[in-house]
Amino acid sequence: MTWDEVLRFARGPLFKVALIVFIGGMAYRLMRVLLLGWGRDRVPAMGSKAAGVVKSYLKGILIWPFIPWVKGTFRRNPLIYVAGGLFHLGLFVVIFLGTAHMLVWKSLLGFGWPTLALPIVDWLAAVAIVAMLALLVNRLVNPVLRMISGPAEWLNWGVVFLPMVTGYIMTHHLWFGYTTLFSMHMLAVDLLLIYIPLSRISHFMFYFFSRTIHGTEFGKRGVTP
Amino acid sequence: MLATQEALNQFVEETGGWIASQLEACTRCGMCTEACHFYLTSGNPAYSPVWKMELLRRAYEGRFTVSGRLKLALGIEKPISQSDLEAWRTIDYEACTLCNRCSLVCPMGIDLGSLIHGVRGALAAAGEVPDDLEQATQKQIEDGSPLGVDLDAWRDRIDWIQDEWDIELPIDVQGADTMAVFTSIELMKFPSNFAYIAKIMEAAGESWTISSKGREVVNFGLFEGNTEHTVLFLKRIFDAAQELGVKRVMVTECGHAYEALRWTSFNLMQVPAGLEVTHIAGVLGEFVEQGRIQLKPGAMDDGTITFHDACKIQRKGGHIKEPRMILNILAPESFVEMTPNKEEGICCGGGGGVISIKEADQKRFDAFELKIDQMNQIGAQRVAMVCSNCRLQFADCVQHFGLDWKIYGLSQMVAESLAGDGDAGGVQPAKEG
Repeated sequence: MTWDEVLRFARGPLFKVALIVFIGGMAYRLMRVLLLGWGRDRVPAMGSKAAGVVKSYLKGILIWPFIPWVKGTFRRNPLIYVAGGLFHLGLFVVIFLGTAHMLVWKSLLGFGWPTLALPIVDWLAAVAIVAMLALLVNRLVNPVLRMISGPAEWLNWGVVFLPMVTGYIMTHHLWFGYTTLFSMHMLAVDLLLIYIPLSRISHFMFYFFSRTIHGTEFGKRGVTP
Repeated sequence: MLATQEALNQFVEETGGWIASQLEACTRCGMCTEACHFYLTSGNPAYSPVWKMELLRRAYEGRFTVSGRLKLALGIEKPISQSDLEAWRTIDYEACTLCNRCSLVCPMGIDLGSLIHGVRGALAAAGEVPDDLEQATQKQIEDGSPLGVDLDAWRDRIDWIQDEWDIELPIDVQGADTMAVFTSIELMKFPSNFAYIAKIMEAAGESWTISSKGREVVNFGLFEGNTEHTVLFLKRIFDAAQELGVKRVMVTECGHAYEALRWTSFNLMQVPAGLEVTHIAGVLGEFVEQGRIQLKPGAMDDGTITFHDACKIQRKGGHIKEPRMILNILAPESFVEMTPNKEEGICCGGGGGVISIKEADQKRFDAFELKIDQMNQIGAQRVAMVCSNCRLQFADCVQHFGLDWKIYGLSQMVAESLAGDGDAGGVQPAKEG
């Protein structure tokens, strides 16, 4: 099997299968939780639940990840706190605002959108990779994180790191031939897509549940979330 | 299957998506760790909030998820064992006040307090409740009070309070608007609170009563996490309210009782229709705002004074503004906030039943060091609060650490600063029994 064939397979049939597994798996995970039932909250509210939800998202998305002193947490290690935010920022920019990825979206969805200049995307990708390494080191040395990390947590890190780093090397044409790098990147992406429904990387979907619940709980009590 | 595993399954089934989606959202980032006062003062990794709910995660994944079942089958994950229960009994009952500060810090916004409370419930189902808490609960079931104050003892104490402070407490008044429900802590340790609140009610012209049947607002069932007991104790109060035909139940200076009555009861049982549940903090704010009571401005201006936010009354109860409004009237020159404060305030360390567990004493003393730091930062030696449980912890720690602090209940401050009431009219706090 030549690298050309590997690439054709990885971005062709395997990618399709991975997408189907990803979408099907996530749909299953979603249904599973939805079907557990949602009891009605009969508690009379003191404040506005809707206002709580809006504040919950504003704080969660805009303010939270980048300001270590908000809520006074991780004050002993603000770099790690910021790393989490920067990793997610880099990831989203690369996936949605990188031209190459937008074109993949376009081929899947049928429409595209404006993207950012390559140097910006490239820098943010590098930042995200460095942030991931910092987070890994922290997970290795922090006693609490070591205690709560099982095989799944280490695997999560690795499966996310592979597409990031192969993508970066590919953009810079380092060490290997382009086809080889592209193949490795696609294989890593396929693995990630298949793995997500089996893991907690799926938190991006449940994020919207937990932050909404957080907002309603605090909002109903008239407290800023 | 262990009773705990069974109870956790049931907890997930009953709460459904509310709990499941939050468990699914946790990425084990560990950020909640440094929100916890027990962790910060001990450095014990097991006190991390995410670890406190670990049993629930294991039970949920092992029963409700494919990957969890796979892990169990492959032996990567082990079923919950008896020794797990003993370990989690210590960390969830002795090193957690269910203050829920961690949920504000969680990037996913997971309501960790509720999840840990669920674990407590499952431990209770297996009989793994600390002895002191268990005994207090039994006393509340049998005598009507965790301190063992039965009806006769209660009447004696109420008579004594009326004599001592020369006040009249309206007992079992049919058709009163407000039924005030006190705690045994107030009855036995801070009896002057009855006098202060009576004085305020009178000044405001409120039609109110206390009830001999709903005489205990404390709810040890909530501490345990035992729904059956929680409902039993709630029902006593709601039945009394219904019999007297009152419009609202006013929880006095007690945090978790407010949590139980105001925020938990409606989802656990049938609360009498139209009955309102309020807290004294809210009622005091209402009286001042509506001009039903007049306060002497600056009456408490005598050296820096600060306010301690109770987890169940401020962070989880929403009464953040009222105490500050009152303090800004009474001590406009000397009221200073601690940092962090309001919804982010640091817990006293004695809530959630912790103060009633002997084995937890050292942990709550350690946790209190954060409050000492906070007070020292602003150079305050006077602190107000609106929760008797916090107040008990403060009083005990002041003694333990030999601090020269003055601790005020909000009702006390208000009652002592009522305008149009000569200096001699104040309730004398020196007579605490």
